[in-house]
Amino acid sequence: MSILFDTQYLFVRAMKKLLRNPILLFFSLLQPIIFLLLFTQLFSKFSQIPGFPASSYLLFATPGILLQNAFSSAFQSGMSVVEDLNSGYLQKMLTTPVSRSAILLGRLLSDAFRVVVQSLIILALAYFLGASVTTGIAGVILMFLTIAFFGLAWSGISLSLGLRTKRSETVFGIGGFLTFPLLFMSTALTPLSFMPDWMQTVSKLNPISYTVDALRALTLTGFDWATILPAYAVIGFIAVATLGATLYQFRKVIS
Amino acid sequence: MSDIIKVENLVEVYSDGTKAVQDISFVVKEGEFFGFLGPNGAGKTTTIKILTTILRKTAGSVTVAGYDIQAEAQEIRKLIGVESQETAIDADLTGRENLILQGNLQQMHGEILKKRVDELLKLVELDEAADKRAAYYSGGMKKRLDLASALVHKPRLLFLDEPTTGLDPQSRATMWSYLEKLNREEGVTVFLTTQYMEEADRLANRLAILDYGRIVASGTSMELKQEIGADAISLSLEKADVINAGMKEKAKQILTTIKGVGDVRDSDGGLTVYAKNGGFIIPDIVRAFDESKIRLSSINLSSPTLDDVFLKYTGRRIRPEELKKEASSFMMFGRRR
Repeated sequence: MSILFDTQYLFVRAMKKLLRNPILLFFSLLQPIIFLLLFTQLFSKFSQIPGFPASSYLLFATPGILLQNAFSSAFQSGMSVVEDLNSGYLQKMLTTPVSRSAILLGRLLSDAFRVVVQSLIILALAYFLGASVTTGIAGVILMFLTIAFFGLAWSGISLSLGLRTKRSETVFGIGGFLTFPLLFMSTALTPLSFMPDWMQTVSKLNPISYTVDALRALTLTGFDWATILPAYAVIGFIAVATLGATLYQFRKVIS
Repeated sequence: MSDIIKVENLVEVYSDGTKAVQDISFVVKEGEFFGFLGPNGAGKTTTIKILTTILRKTAGSVTVAGYDIQAEAQEIRKLIGVESQETAIDADLTGRENLILQGNLQQMHGEILKKRVDELLKLVELDEAADKRAAYYSGGMKKRLDLASALVHKPRLLFLDEPTTGLDPQSRATMWSYLEKLNREEGVTVFLTTQYMEEADRLANRLAILDYGRIVASGTSMELKQEIGADAISLSLEKADVINAGMKEKAKQILTTIKGVGDVRDSDGGLTVYAKNGGFIIPDIVRAFDESKIRLSSINLSSPTLDDVFLKYTGRRIRPEELKKEASSFMMFGRRR
């Protein structure tokens, strides 16, 4: 099956490129780590407020920070595609018999893999600081699956934007613009009951909230399927929309 | 020899209405070194993109090695090698890794691929730099790596889109000798586009001259030059006389009265006269101009070049422009539906 081989070749290429730009890798990982250290200090007294759902802010915020990392990583996916488009590398690949789907699959899988490794590092650090996951190893694995799926779904936005605009600045700008409002107006860093009414409404519509709540269930309460499954439904919906858009734009480019 | 490329009435119209290629037809025979000569925007790159299966034609029929360009694109991709204008190599990978990956994408693996890569690295003299990242390569080295990566799977047909644009004279000469070797010794058919007439003249067995999406002339370099059938005498007029249109007209009239003068054409800064045995006519021209008080600043006699051929068919000279990277990649995808 040439699609499997081709995907593997392009996955390895993406990994090599990533490891050979250690500065980029370092700083994209540094941000969530600083958030983890800074926010858990800044908001440490939150846990004393009645009605706070966790025994410490660290326990509460770790899932949120994991998702913030997945979100900003997903936005770098589009930039690498823009690079290949503008350097002519994509066109060169298209003159070979390489499987067209493998070009996208290799990209997406390497992004998902990267986000899982980064999450592992963040989670290890949080564990070291005193966080834990109630559901144990099985729960951690499910968390990583959820994060990878979430990352994949959001990669689609930056990929389709990259293929459409052919400008990494645009992808970067839109990514930066979306990150903070979506993150702060979700349950990533603050419990729902602590927000003003209007923001609670926004947060309830925010897809990030669903995913954070699912991860939080796994770290705090247990396999609460009533919270976890809706998250999968929401991510699935986003994935269909954004990856559909990516496929559409990609087809336009390769036809 | 069989036809490896057959193009009939090819038309390409971009979605913004630009007619990049307007009804061209030509054939390339197996083993040939075929050149497409023309200025920027003549439709050379568009044609190559269609032939290499990455741009859909608007109309016409194209076959490569007997395969239909649309229905059997996948078969064509296995037997062509492509070097694009952009020097598309991955700068984060080493030279060797670039070639291995390219081989992988052409469904080669293992020892066979490894051997082939070593062979190619030696051929393009990159064996010493093979394990350095391509980001540290010079422009000439990058072009050579790009050429090698187009050759990994031993293609029957090699497409080169302006392979020496932007290279210094020495790198250009090295590139030329590789290409000649490939064509002569290995029998690879080469399709080359260029805006440099010396390049087309030296490398191509047969060539087509392109302008505004049309083939204006084709044949061997010799045939094309013989069509001019005469030496070219370039006359530069003094500045004041160039600006004075009446003076130029007068000069033209005088020239037509001189025995042996063939065609007379406008060129920048003066006139170009075609004449058999041009050397004998120069004294007559000088004398006649002197009598009419037309001041010449210089006279230059040359055997006809491809540039003269281009001038004859288009009324202009080819002015090579350096490649603008961003503009070309924008053209590639920006203009299509």
